[in-house]
Amino acid sequence: MDKVYVLLMGFISIVIVNNLVFTKFLGICPYLGVSGRLDMAFGMGMAVTFVITLAGTLTWLIDNLILMPYGLEVTRYVCYILVIAGAVQLVEMYLRKFFPPLYESFGIFLPLITTNCAILGLCLFVNLWGIDNFPEAAVLSFGAGIGFTLAICIMAGIRENLNIADVPDSLKGAPITLITAGLLTLAFMGFAGMIK
Amino acid sequence: MLKAIKHYIEQSWLLIVSSFAFGLLIAITNAAWQPRIEQNKINKLNNLMNELIPNAKYECIMTDVQVDLGKGKIAKSNVYKATAPDGNSAGFCFGAQGAGFADKIELVIAVDAALEKIKGYSVLSSNETPGFGDRIVGDYFRHQFINAPMTNLSLTKKGDDKIIDNNIVAISGATVSSTAVVNIFNNYLDQMKKKINEKKAE
Amino acid sequence: MENKAPSISKVFAAGLWQENPVLRLLLGMCPTLAVTTAVKPALTMGLSVIFVLFCSNIVVSLMRNLLKPHLRILMFTLAIATFVTIADLFLRAFQPEMSAVLGPYVPLIIVNCIIICRAEACASKNGLFISIIDAIGMGIGFTVVLCILGGIRELLATGMIFEIKVMPSFFVPWAAMRMPVGAFITLGLILGLVNFVTGKKT
Repeated sequence: MDKVYVLLMGFISIVIVNNLVFTKFLGICPYLGVSGRLDMAFGMGMAVTFVITLAGTLTWLIDNLILMPYGLEVTRYVCYILVIAGAVQLVEMYLRKFFPPLYESFGIFLPLITTNCAILGLCLFVNLWGIDNFPEAAVLSFGAGIGFTLAICIMAGIRENLNIADVPDSLKGAPITLITAGLLTLAFMGFAGMIK
Repeated sequence: MLKAIKHYIEQSWLLIVSSFAFGLLIAITNAAWQPRIEQNKINKLNNLMNELIPNAKYECIMTDVQVDLGKGKIAKSNVYKATAPDGNSAGFCFGAQGAGFADKIELVIAVDAALEKIKGYSVLSSNETPGFGDRIVGDYFRHQFINAPMTNLSLTKKGDDKIIDNNIVAISGATVSSTAVVNIFNNYLDQMKKKINEKKAE
Repeated sequence: MENKAPSISKVFAAGLWQENPVLRLLLGMCPTLAVTTAVKPALTMGLSVIFVLFCSNIVVSLMRNLLKPHLRILMFTLAIATFVTIADLFLRAFQPEMSAVLGPYVPLIIVNCIIICRAEACASKNGLFISIIDAIGMGIGFTVVLCILGGIRELLATGMIFEIKVMPSFFVPWAAMRMPVGAFITLGLILGLVNFVTGKKT
């Protein structure tokens, strides 16, 4: 029972309290670039969730089964980025074969996922937090993806409305998006300390 | 078959060659700087412990001691024995951790040789709210632990912070962070006492 | 781009202003926002990025004629990851404090879009010399913005610059500037200011 509790708390914590976008600044590029339309943002979020779950669990396994026992920690970053690039390729091929319409709609973003900081960041943080069991690593990876989707969808919803708002000329585009993002992080700070 | 192999090699020889080159590069740098990195880690820990028990020599007496943090979480920490310049035991130091307001708080706690009094703590890493929770690093809060009895500590919101006893006065505006530190102490003191006594009996 | 060689001063200036990675291209946002709580980490980050950008541009430029198109990105990533590992080892060996502050944001340079973007857009098409100039220009442009942002945030959050007190004593630090919200809003306002100055209408 305790184990389930820890996993559940870990999940809620990474989705809301320690959301990667709002507290660790990870995945800002797509967060600002793509999140103009809600449906697009959701698709992107789903793709990231899939890749991040795959990459998070795989890197954890590689780290604990290969790198640490043999003292190869120094090659950690190289291994991580190769795993992520491989996972992205896999998703791209899978989508092209089985969901062509979906592939058409966010095909251009897929290569970009490789350079999405949220994914490499999550892998690094899982290592940094010293997560030492497989279920927790898997749940955290999945939760991070859901958290990213949540953030990017909220942002897309706001930006759809911002388009019809009267924004000063020089603040249009990226600046007002950043300021909105700032206010959002302020709102999400209210969740801090919720989970002990 | 041979043709296929030839094709793959033609396509990827650059990748393979450069992988080896980069691998070699990392290995050389690592070999050159790893001792320094290890030394830095040791120095940092020694500096922190020296703040708590000055002029002592430290020796790691137990590694990977398991401490139950409750809710099924188990943390591991190392115990260091401090020896004063005159050869007497000056106390023990150990790493401790627990959940803070924003993230994990990691402390180094020092206790005296008789395991009766706390000698203080230093913050190894914390991510508490700037201006509020991060005052657990400050002296106002830390002073209250120095020479406090090694019993169950309790947190009060009002009181005199000058009186050293098991009542710790919380930092105003940072009750959660203060509670977190006190909880870490309560979690670790009893369990560590037992473990160190076992070690002494050996 | 391939036919006429761009002039050196033009390439250099482009990185500083017209194509400034942060202000104009909106690249590398993640470290820009995360490490700018003070000038010192911002400067360290900027220098690390210059180093990685410099090395990766040289390597990519040297092997640009040997690259197979479909293995291109893989090659770039491999080179970048190697140099980032070296930068990280260097920081851990010689700047342990800064390394602790920057934490995982050093390895995150690997996925910093600036570096892969410059490798793709400049180094894989131009000769060694132009690539080096481009790396330095872009790197300095990035570092300067990082330091400005870090300076503003450090000044308002603590009243200090480079850990030296500069604000009058009645100044009450704005703790919010050290939190994520401060990063987003400051950068938003700086971008707005740049748009205002250049009169760019989007």
